[in-house]
Amino acid sequence: MILAYRRAAPWLAVVPVIGMMLFVVAPALNIFKMSLRFESLKILTTQTTRNVVWFTSWQAILSTILVLFVALPIAAITSNFKFVGRRALISLVSVPFILPAVVVGAAFLEILPGSLHRSSLAIIAAHVYFNVGLAVRIISTRWEQIHPYLDDAANTLGASTIRTFLTVTLPLLRTAIISASLLVFIMCFTSYGVVRILGGPARSTIETEIYFRAMQLGDVSGALIMSVLQILVIGALILLVTSTRRSKNRHSKNSQKFGQSVYSRLRNPRSIAQKIFVITIASVSAVAVVAPLVSVATRSILLREKLDTTAWRSVLSDSTIFSSLMTSLRYALITVIISTTIGLLGACAVVYGGSRYKFVSVLTALPVVISAVTLGLGIIITFDVSPIDWRGAWLMMPLAHCLVAIPIVMRVISPVLRDLPSGLRDASRTLGASAWQMWRTIDLRIIRRALVTSAALASAVSLGEFGASSFLVRHNNETLPLTIARLLSRPGDLIQAQAYAIATVLIVACAGIIAVVDRLGTREPGF
Amino acid sequence: MLDVRNLTVSYESTPVLKNLSIYIGRGEIIALTGPSGSGKTTLLRCIAGLEATDSGSIWMHGEEITKRPAHLRRIGLVFQDNQLFPHLNVAENIAYSLKLQRVAKNERNHKVAEALELVGLAHLAKREIVRLSGGEAKRVAVARALVAQPEVLLLDEPLAGLDGELHHRLLDDLGSLLRSRATTTLHVTHDHAEASAIADRVLDIRELASLGDV
Repeated sequence: MILAYRRAAPWLAVVPVIGMMLFVVAPALNIFKMSLRFESLKILTTQTTRNVVWFTSWQAILSTILVLFVALPIAAITSNFKFVGRRALISLVSVPFILPAVVVGAAFLEILPGSLHRSSLAIIAAHVYFNVGLAVRIISTRWEQIHPYLDDAANTLGASTIRTFLTVTLPLLRTAIISASLLVFIMCFTSYGVVRILGGPARSTIETEIYFRAMQLGDVSGALIMSVLQILVIGALILLVTSTRRSKNRHSKNSQKFGQSVYSRLRNPRSIAQKIFVITIASVSAVAVVAPLVSVATRSILLREKLDTTAWRSVLSDSTIFSSLMTSLRYALITVIISTTIGLLGACAVVYGGSRYKFVSVLTALPVVISAVTLGLGIIITFDVSPIDWRGAWLMMPLAHCLVAIPIVMRVISPVLRDLPSGLRDASRTLGASAWQMWRTIDLRIIRRALVTSAALASAVSLGEFGASSFLVRHNNETLPLTIARLLSRPGDLIQAQAYAIATVLIVACAGIIAVVDRLGTREPGF
Repeated sequence: MLDVRNLTVSYESTPVLKNLSIYIGRGEIIALTGPSGSGKTTLLRCIAGLEATDSGSIWMHGEEITKRPAHLRRIGLVFQDNQLFPHLNVAENIAYSLKLQRVAKNERNHKVAEALELVGLAHLAKREIVRLSGGEAKRVAVARALVAQPEVLLLDEPLAGLDGELHHRLLDDLGSLLRSRATTTLHVTHDHAEASAIADRVLDIRELASLGDV
């Protein structure tokens, strides 16, 4: 790395490190400290806790298995076949992942029969819907890189299509499948919005239990212990998977690189069986993604089973809802500015500083381990003493949104920065550019699309954030997801329709964000 | 033995091969030369069953195999860039086809050891593919194809990219290996010296077909 860049690394790391230490590490340590102080560790042995932990675990495991079961065929067709609407399908299956969890919950309330409301099945179905796009993206990214001639080599050695998949493709996808499984498991294990909307009091996960104990029972000590339990489980799982991957597949990185291809795997489906497979998977997945979204929009214009736009008119004229919309937009803007800046600084520090700055990467990934709800609880119990009694400060909520968005921003920008050919910088240097000019004209130009992508994703995170916001909301700063949850919890046809109208607005916003992200992603990086 | 009759192949309506015919007798080694882009690799991929043909037919032992899936043809292909399976080590790569044929473990180990001996890599059985040199990887690719006991072996520029001395040594080894096993071989190369060194006949792909504007 250029010497000037290496020298700048410590300065670039200052703001991300201080930010993370102050708003993530300190609250997390405070949670640990306070949970030890309370004499209520016996909560861990109660039947309620055992039930909550058991339900959280099994629904997360089952959801993860089902997500893989659904995602693999979709990844198979998008990574291997050319067909009309392929890119649109990839974008479409990604939409649910950036939808606010409460919107997904609302959609499943609408699409499922009443007998399935408040059921485990509803929660698991929503988790599968929510996470398939994430798994498809991770698996198909790797699948597209596998050299198509490896399949051909297996064929000429006597392997049928299925045997080729089992003996060549699947082992080469193993790392991607493990990564996808881990992320999906964490998402389902720490699921909050979906469980609150679809689960009801009988179906509680650790995450909803934390909220329930802290905000409704006033049992902060119990909530803290549940938070610690969740952090420990997720942390242990990440460590276990990482170490297993290291020891069992120590050459996986090399072998992955070795099997990578510059050739496209995409071919026209040739046989009748291939054509049927592609058409079936593509059409079923498109319908499965669109149906719940259409049901949300439809519900917003139905009153007493008749077409009626009253809900929309009342939403547009209701000052409280308008205020929520403005709050959401304001917070999204703040989140975009702060998280993109801190994420950019962090990514530059990690890439320019080399292995010594890997800790910045670990620090900025902490909000994935410490869930949004735990972050919200941690902030409340940490910043509650003068002169840092910030619990009521409006900035706390967008700040929490930033903490959730920063890991995503880092993971979008870092790979682009890392893969930038060093020869470009050398060429710029030999042509007389200073370090700053080199960064501005080479690095910044190459990562600008990644910056826009991360800004778009950060805005989606903020627009849909529900977990931390539930803790940090005050009477005058309710965001749209909180408004939806509040309206859904009230009786009345019009009120429910209003909730669905707001949900429709968020769906359109998220679809637009995915369109921007995918449009930028389809272009070659560079000038 | 292998008879290709009037083969025509095009990609997105651009003709790559037009009315190409070629016959290879049992145990014969034929070298096929021609400039880049003349369709040599496409011909091999069609014979192996990896590409669809527009018209024409492919016969083996008097039986038409044009529509037969690649995995049922018993035609081996050594790729230009080897295409060794990165998740398997050297011995596992060579044993791949034997496992598919459900060959018993003892016999499999014996055959793999024999193949490794044949290509002079007995000491590298457990080595990861990523740690092989270019010449070693090429030998493993040849051993992997031969151990499957193909009726016909197709070599797609197998020595491309190897430097002078290594190229020369591997060419000698490959020639004697194919002769000793009397393997029916179609060897594609753009290097005339390489072609004439091991082949019974050297053919130019342009003389086998009317290629139109290609």
